[in-house]
Amino acid sequence: MVRHTQLTPLSLVGLSIAALLTFPLVYVTYSAFTGDLSQAGQLWNTRLPELLTNTISLALGVSIVTLTLGVSTAWIITRYQFWGRAFWDWGFVLPLAIPSFVLAYVYTYLLDTAGPVEQTWQWLTNSEAHIPSPFSFTGALVVMSLNTFPYVYLLARAAFQNFNLSFEEAAQATGATRWETFWRVSLPLIRPALVASMFLVVLYVVSDFGAVSLLRFQTFTYAIYQQITGRFDYQSAALLSLLLVSFALVFLFAERWFRKQSRFYQTSGRVRTARPKSCSMIKGFAITLSFLALFVAAFALPVVMLIQWTLTAWMNGEVGTSFLTYIGNSMFLSATAATAAIILGTPLAYLASRFPSKLHVACLQGAYIGYVLPGPVAALALLMLFTDMIPILYGTIVVLILAYLIHYLPAGLQAMESALQQVNPNLEEAARNLGAKGIRTFIQITLPLVRKGFSAAWLLMFLLCMKELPATLLLRPIGFDTLAVRIWLEASEELYQLAAPPALLIVILTIPAVFLLSKKNWQAG
Amino acid sequence: MPYFSIILSFILFGFGAFGVADLYAGESVVVYSGRAERLIKPVLDHFEKTTGTTVQLLTAGSTELVNRLRAEGARTPADVFITNEAGALELARTLHLLQPITLPEVNTTIPEPFRAPDNSWIGLSGRMWVTVYNTKMVDPSTIHSLLDLAAPSWKGKLAIPTANSEYLQAGASMVLAAKGKRAADEFLQGIRDNAENEVYGKNRQIVDAVAKGKVSVGIVNHYYIFRHLAKDPQAPIAPLITDQGEGDMGSIMNVAGIGLTAHAKHLSAANQLITFLMSPTGQRMFAEINKEYPVNPAVSADPAVPPASSFRASTIPLTRLAELRDPIIQEIQRLGLR
Repeated sequence: MVRHTQLTPLSLVGLSIAALLTFPLVYVTYSAFTGDLSQAGQLWNTRLPELLTNTISLALGVSIVTLTLGVSTAWIITRYQFWGRAFWDWGFVLPLAIPSFVLAYVYTYLLDTAGPVEQTWQWLTNSEAHIPSPFSFTGALVVMSLNTFPYVYLLARAAFQNFNLSFEEAAQATGATRWETFWRVSLPLIRPALVASMFLVVLYVVSDFGAVSLLRFQTFTYAIYQQITGRFDYQSAALLSLLLVSFALVFLFAERWFRKQSRFYQTSGRVRTARPKSCSMIKGFAITLSFLALFVAAFALPVVMLIQWTLTAWMNGEVGTSFLTYIGNSMFLSATAATAAIILGTPLAYLASRFPSKLHVACLQGAYIGYVLPGPVAALALLMLFTDMIPILYGTIVVLILAYLIHYLPAGLQAMESALQQVNPNLEEAARNLGAKGIRTFIQITLPLVRKGFSAAWLLMFLLCMKELPATLLLRPIGFDTLAVRIWLEASEELYQLAAPPALLIVILTIPAVFLLSKKNWQAG
Repeated sequence: MPYFSIILSFILFGFGAFGVADLYAGESVVVYSGRAERLIKPVLDHFEKTTGTTVQLLTAGSTELVNRLRAEGARTPADVFITNEAGALELARTLHLLQPITLPEVNTTIPEPFRAPDNSWIGLSGRMWVTVYNTKMVDPSTIHSLLDLAAPSWKGKLAIPTANSEYLQAGASMVLAAKGKRAADEFLQGIRDNAENEVYGKNRQIVDAVAKGKVSVGIVNHYYIFRHLAKDPQAPIAPLITDQGEGDMGSIMNVAGIGLTAHAKHLSAANQLITFLMSPTGQRMFAEINKEYPVNPAVSADPAVPPASSFRASTIPLTRLAELRDPIIQEIQRLGLR
């Protein structure tokens, strides 16, 4: 195809979309370095060592815990037959419906000094002993791990499902034990999935705002938010943001590089996937028991607490019709952002997969920048940009939707990209040869073929937007509180009963999306 | 599936539109508020009910809202700006974000120390930044001054607000104004070292930590102690009003207040709201629900709190809070408070 080097109108569209998505970051960079830099030195001396240690150790800790939880659950579910397996298959995806800050507030209530857990413990041991405080590294580690292990589970499960059994059989035939086979053959083979899931988990952890601030654990993102809201200078916030973004970028490139290095293929010919083996009563019982514990901690317990609080609030008459407005606002924003993301993402993904010129690939990569922009940073970027350049839009939902787009489009883009790649270009070629115009080909041939992938992308972005907190807090127009904002306002005052109804609503509204996502076969790479 | 999502998004669009539409109905006043919602919402709800004027409320941090007002400039939808302390209001005034309130009652109802020189903001309710102590763990006669809490003997026993707390900034500014830079630095360093990890975003949490014996003392606004006691009268906590001796700085007094924005679009509704908040009805709500000190001398404080005549407050004018705000934030940042 000769078209590769041509600058078509479509590539101009792609270019402007990429510019729209990357410009805020460019602007933050610019503002961080214009003006007085003496603040930076002070920040470096006082806050930075703590923030760095905290952020990195939390990311590392959560990675280790989620890898252990995610891989072991995925392995057991794909390899063993036991009672309740069909339920666990999708049950472990459910924790994704709970926003991290909701999980955090449930656990702060349960584990706080003189909270229910401590009281029970003191009663059991008949002592005055204190339990470890949730306002600590451990608290943040537990909450974030319980909240993110489903990502690892989803990707590892898909990898194990698409796994060619012949490799394992070959290893065992040459005398390797099952344990050796797992460590030296199975695990390395799903490495791309593990790397991809670690990428998701680490970015989630470093960009989380709600959970760490309720747990009062100082990370970069939390510090940036405090800088924006509590002081009169955005410059320090911009500097901190840049530092965080550059770390994340290094991580992004490392992940890309790693993925290229370890691209291997399953053998040609018939692929035989593993069939779950039945296991002994005792083993089955042990599995069920440990799965139950994990499920209760990550999903059932928080949901039961939310239901209980909601009922109390209901009976006290504290649940009014205003909730309809919050539901409306949340869904309206999330649906609009997800739809806009599909519309803006399509040209980018299409160009990069059909005409992969340097420019087009660069546009696509540019859009991925948003991945490493935590909510407060994206909000800060837009805040600075809009107040300086387009003040007329400041304080409208346009800015908010743009923030969602920048931050969450990359999540959907991945699914859109792979959906488009799976369409055989010959089909489009044929349509064009038969005289159909480009757009008509796209609508009549391509779109129907990618609808599944695109729907999944839409759902994923919708889900993420529903749970978004920091950008919404900073950019929401007057009178436009979302469910997430309501939870936050009440939970940060420790008014658990009042925070529960909107929290429960978010969980209920996102469960269908989570469920549909769990049905999709996620493959890394 | 595709139809599913398309249909769904249409429904949601409609749903949301309904939410947007009901924003623009009837006479209304737009309020930016830096106060915790549960401390101001009951009063605003009462105003809505009695006057029929709709209140549109945006709750965020006081400082964050000053930033927002500044960013929005003349396009701001806000008519009034309510804060949890005077510093942010005075700051907004010096940034030309406020305009004088011309209501004649202002001069007769609000004592002079509690309003801006040009009446662009007025205090509504007073609060003292005091020590709260656990009655089972602390002998109150050992604390004479707020500055005593910076002594090494309180290491690990003190809870303080975060560096972003406007109360901490205002309190430290008062120490700076009354005792000088050296004393303010020592105070900040001391409470930083003593508090270690016991740094809280909310006053409520500090009172809670003291009540549960997690720490033995904390520094908070007085009414959080009384609100806690109103709910749990058995809680082992009590307020301690310090710095009352001869030549001492007096207790640190501040006000939550309201300012009229320079570009208010609903002037009459805004004035109506301000009038209501100054009136005995509004003032009584601050006293009864919040346990704050009404600024209107015609209304007395809740019987649970020590009467205003029983202690001596610092005489540093509240307007100084704004000019000291930037230097004190620099200090707080330099000293690495969290």
